[in-house]
Amino acid sequence: MYSYKTGIAQIDQISGGFEAGTNILLLAPPMSYADQLAYALTKPLQGEYAIVLSTNERAAEVIDAFKLAGADKHFTGVIDAITKSSTPSIADTQRMMFVSSPTDLTGIGIKFSNMIETIFEGEFSDGEAGLFPPPIRFCVNSISTLLMYRRLEVLYQFLHVLTAKLKKIEGVGIYLLNSESFDDKTLSLIKQLMNCVIEIKIEQNVSYLRVQGLQGVSGDWMKFSVSKGQVTILP
Amino acid sequence: MISTGVSGLDEMLGSGIPRGSKALYSLEPGVNGQLFMISTLSCALARGLSCLVILPNTTVGAFRNDVAAMYGARLDLVSKPVVFIDAIDRERIQKSARSDEARAREWQERVRKACEDHKVDVIFAYFDLLYEDFSLEKAMKILDSARGGGKKVTLIVEHLNLEGAPLLERFIRELSFDLVLAIRSSFRPVPHFNYFTLVHTSWAPLPVRSVPFIIADGRVIPYIPRIVVTGPSNSGKSTFVTNASDEGHSIDRRGSDGDKTTVAMDFGWLRWKDFDITLYGTPGHTRFDPLLPPYLRHAMGVILVIDATKPDKLPRARHLIEMITKRKIPYIVAANKNDLPDVLEEAEIRKALGIGGDIPLFFISAQKRSDVQLVLESLVDSIMQFSY
Repeated sequence: MYSYKTGIAQIDQISGGFEAGTNILLLAPPMSYADQLAYALTKPLQGEYAIVLSTNERAAEVIDAFKLAGADKHFTGVIDAITKSSTPSIADTQRMMFVSSPTDLTGIGIKFSNMIETIFEGEFSDGEAGLFPPPIRFCVNSISTLLMYRRLEVLYQFLHVLTAKLKKIEGVGIYLLNSESFDDKTLSLIKQLMNCVIEIKIEQNVSYLRVQGLQGVSGDWMKFSVSKGQVTILP
Repeated sequence: MISTGVSGLDEMLGSGIPRGSKALYSLEPGVNGQLFMISTLSCALARGLSCLVILPNTTVGAFRNDVAAMYGARLDLVSKPVVFIDAIDRERIQKSARSDEARAREWQERVRKACEDHKVDVIFAYFDLLYEDFSLEKAMKILDSARGGGKKVTLIVEHLNLEGAPLLERFIRELSFDLVLAIRSSFRPVPHFNYFTLVHTSWAPLPVRSVPFIIADGRVIPYIPRIVVTGPSNSGKSTFVTNASDEGHSIDRRGSDGDKTTVAMDFGWLRWKDFDITLYGTPGHTRFDPLLPPYLRHAMGVILVIDATKPDKLPRARHLIEMITKRKIPYIVAANKNDLPDVLEEAEIRKALGIGGDIPLFFISAQKRSDVQLVLESLVDSIMQFSY
């Protein structure tokens, strides 16, 4: 089974990376650069593909962030739930698809399926070939925003379907959730859908992460930094 | 009747949806089924019916653009008699009304007024957010309130169904919907496999049935999946197709050995597990080999029929397996003529064909319908579970 490298040497050496089919909750307070960490974990390596569901940034901004992190734009797709509300006439491309708003779960589900299908059919990357079956990293940035628009129960059901699909295609999913804006019930319900949780905290301007649910990796807090898509564990 | 715009579906329904009825298009998450609603809207407008479209999760501008992208210029949402209540209206209602009751009343009033002012014949409602905002009964009350007058307003609802069959039951039993159509997906990336299931019709006792479909040229096209039946000559493929099918057709000629041999494709149609399935039986002679790859290209599965009494034909069968495995589709082996003497052992066959225990192998007599159906059942299961 395929293993998705985290890009964090200390973690990859111990665990080999994320097993195919892993869904990871990234639980972080605001202003903690969690999206940078999420993008670093989502960045496609050679032969892989990435899809970002963006409820916070426009597709062009997401692609720019990935390019800055060294990702090949031909292997990166975005489902943008922001731009269409201000630019209704914007048209889908193979790697940039638009839904009217984060409320539109029907549209999000369809665009997700379309992008996966395009990847499997080899029509995603303008003729450039990736691995087959294609390893796909999927990032939702963020569940917090989706929860502002839809009820927890509805979103839970929707994410249940999405995480199951990710497992089926042996991808990995990375889902951002603001740890300070939601009650314990919300956090615990969303955690039920995941098999790995990465928590982030900030203390005295230093970022820490801890990983739970990744084989061999201790649940201790580790200092880290992210720069240009590269996560470094600090001593 | 209001046409759905999907010809195969209209035929199943008896030319469309009866005026004044309530119809549900239930979409599973991820299935590209929005064209059902849009093509029905297009047909209603083409007939000159006045339509109200309720879209709480998008704006009119975005909807028009989505429709143009999906359906092309065929749907005229500017000059036709259509009125909208959209996400901006929802936001205004959310802000202006303080309680759920007040919001429900405001919605009800807006829907009623739109129907009265524009003499609406058909309401098209995107239901998810109404359901979430008000619960099933209250949301339906909002839509039903406009249907209470003397005029028979038709209601067409699209809903993202995250609750599965129990919710469909509620639409049928509690809300008395006349048509419930579930639009589903197998969610296997290759080949992607969407299908609609006619779950309920109140006006005719139609059987529950499912039909795969594809979206092409802005249309929903019911799609019949292809199962290829292949194998060496005289292995019993035509007999297999004939006994598997409810209806079928075979083109045979008398061969040099005096036996009948297939010289073009055998075709058979059957209903299995709510799917309409087409079987394509290929001729077995090597000279027809160029026919096989094009037929395998769109196949969802393959049945390789071999003569279990003829070891000399197994190298030919092995060659066919090589052609099949290139397509990465599920296949199973039917070792035919097991009612004759000198049937080979399973291990011998597997060894000669170079297949492991993961490939199903059945000893059958293609003349027995029960044997044939066992093979089909196994293949349909393999197709549904195949890991690509």
